[in-house]
Amino acid sequence: MTMVNININGQKVSAAAGSTILKAAKQAGIDIPTLCDHPALIPVGACRICVVEVKGQRTLITACTFPISEGLEIQTESPQVVKARKLVLDLIFSERNHYCPYCEMSGDCELQNLGYRYSLDHFIYPTYTKPFPVDATRKYFLMDHNRCVLCGRCERACGDLVANHTLGLRNRGANSMIHADANVPFGESTCISCGSCLQVCPTGALCDKRSAYMGHDIQMEHIKTTCNQCSIGCGMEIVTRGGNVLKIVGDWDAAVNSGLLCKNGRFDPLYDERQRVTRPLLRRSGKLEPASWEETLQAVAERVGKANAKDLGVLASTYATNEALYLLAKLFQKELKATNVGLLNDVAPKLSDKQGSLADIALGDVILVVGCDLLKDQPVSSFFVKRSVDRGARLIVVDGKDNGLAPFAYMNLDMADIGKAIEIAQRAGNPVVVYGAGVTDKAATALKKLQGKASFVAIENGVNTRAAAALGLNNGFKPSAVKVLYALLGEQKLDDKDVFKNVDKKAFVIAQASFASPLTERADVVLPMAIWSERAGSLTNTEGSVQQVNKAVEPAGEAKPDWEVISLLADKLGKKLGASLGEISARATQELK
Amino acid sequence: MARVKVATDWLAGCAGCHMSFLDIDERIVKLLELVEFTSSPVTDLKHPPKEGVTVGILEGAICNTHNIEVAKQMRERCQILIAVGDCATFGGVPAMRNLCGTDEALKRAYLDTESVVDGLIPDSPELGKPLEMVTGVGEVVKVDLFIPGCPPRADAFWYALTELLAGRVPIVLPRELFTYD
Repeated sequence: MTMVNININGQKVSAAAGSTILKAAKQAGIDIPTLCDHPALIPVGACRICVVEVKGQRTLITACTFPISEGLEIQTESPQVVKARKLVLDLIFSERNHYCPYCEMSGDCELQNLGYRYSLDHFIYPTYTKPFPVDATRKYFLMDHNRCVLCGRCERACGDLVANHTLGLRNRGANSMIHADANVPFGESTCISCGSCLQVCPTGALCDKRSAYMGHDIQMEHIKTTCNQCSIGCGMEIVTRGGNVLKIVGDWDAAVNSGLLCKNGRFDPLYDERQRVTRPLLRRSGKLEPASWEETLQAVAERVGKANAKDLGVLASTYATNEALYLLAKLFQKELKATNVGLLNDVAPKLSDKQGSLADIALGDVILVVGCDLLKDQPVSSFFVKRSVDRGARLIVVDGKDNGLAPFAYMNLDMADIGKAIEIAQRAGNPVVVYGAGVTDKAATALKKLQGKASFVAIENGVNTRAAAALGLNNGFKPSAVKVLYALLGEQKLDDKDVFKNVDKKAFVIAQASFASPLTERADVVLPMAIWSERAGSLTNTEGSVQQVNKAVEPAGEAKPDWEVISLLADKLGKKLGASLGEISARATQELK
Repeated sequence: MARVKVATDWLAGCAGCHMSFLDIDERIVKLLELVEFTSSPVTDLKHPPKEGVTVGILEGAICNTHNIEVAKQMRERCQILIAVGDCATFGGVPAMRNLCGTDEALKRAYLDTESVVDGLIPDSPELGKPLEMVTGVGEVVKVDLFIPGCPPRADAFWYALTELLAGRVPIVLPRELFTYD
């Protein structure tokens, strides 16, 4: 890496060639204030807050966009610079409603912090009094245009990062407004409510409805963890206060998603209104009644311990940790010799010995999306595909007209016409096949023609499907053969799908579940399970990366983490499968290698 | 040594800044040894004395013609004028009215409010006339020190007055006492 030597405020600084003044200063621990700039976004130099004095330059220049060159002499807080920044701030504050006392962001606002930093203690210019609308048509967050500083961060996040291009700017000058599509309410626009704009907004213009007025960031706790809603495994932070989950934000440092999240991960889990199971339940004389963990586990151990291996069945949700799935496989398959074992979702077939990674999507010139609806089921991976389309890659969707990515595709094909897609991919320089469990056997065979040529990126349904399959839990479950069924339902939304439909009415059903449903009502024993925010462990994403999940709040009632329930049951059955989470984690990781 | 004379008054405010001032608690006893409060909205004497004071403190925004009179009188009768609170510095909560207009705000408050029967917008000649635009005090008179905050912290009042008593005139408050909310 070529290094360039510059001088900032009399301090010698050496930074990589191509760095901007802002990046070089940051590296050297010199703070240059910014407003429109954001580390995750492409700098545009719009707000002029980051202006600095550079020797030999005609005017002040924006540090966020100016590349360094050898011998550059920079002043970041000279009187001229401070005067210019104050002018910019006075102008920004004079437009729209930037009164702090009645703003949700007060305390965490970047504009407010700049006001403090440059001691803006009264207005120099008359304030602009034109009222702007507030758009609250989206379910999860609202846009108050009166608080907007037109930095364009939201627009750039929507375009450059999510590649959704819903947001834009309309009008000119002080009348400029962020708008959606051709100026329709946000709720009726092409917005996918991923909340990326909300996360980058520096002021109170974009405001989360659920966590609004719940306190300042300094009063909250941020717990880094991995999203538990699909197989991408995005890094995120659970934000809590006083033992309550307030909101979820993307982790900018996460390798998989670099800070981006989607509606399914950021908002939906917080709006889950399903009723929790908070106590162990045991059926006594036909009635499901609360019982102690001890009694309940004893009852389960007796039935499971006495059952013949061929009568035992295991049905598992992939919304469970590596640890839980490892214990489940170990206890039932290895120790109790059960073979009637299956998953609650399908597994993508293996199409190539060499598995591609999600990062490959960014490198493809022709991208085939086959048998999976990324936009609906794994939205963050759809951002990767859409970004590639923006870059010029050709997207071919082989799934159906309803596929969420269909509007972005160069070509939409039926599974029967997969040959056409393969033919195009064969002529491409760097084709990528992104596929899911929906790929038909015939299509799978055809796609194998691209082995060695294309990168195959499997996007699994469910969450921890890759680990579950690797542990042998996808063994083909036959409901009719079951006499004693252990169903790890977890927190999976089954949309009233009756997975016990073909199970014998007389069969003994043990449900390990987080939420009450017709399935738990049918069960003979219900073991209450902690949800995503309440347990620690690890998850394997669709690429095979093992990532940590951390506990943010205490489990509801008497619920226990998924792995602990199975661990306690193993103890009751006299099987030693690991004493602590650490030990079980290590064994699971070893097994999954 | 004669005590330094201080007068306070309020304009379109909520008295919260005065309350926050009183939150300096027992330090007020020490302050009274050095300072004479000639007048304030919470004492018998309301107007700053004709012979003048050293320090004048104003809370609240400029909302009507009466506010302008009070601000001008205070300016004429004091040597150092301090604007305290977000209303006096920026316009604050009363300035929310600017976003809908004065006529609309009066209509909503006196005619359209759900509990109103036979509403009437007050127009007694004794009352100040509402202005089209709510502003901070700095728009109508020269202000020597702005202390924003809603309300400013008690320590901010204490800091400003003790600095003045020590013969120093603060231009801006230290960061830890500088707040907008």
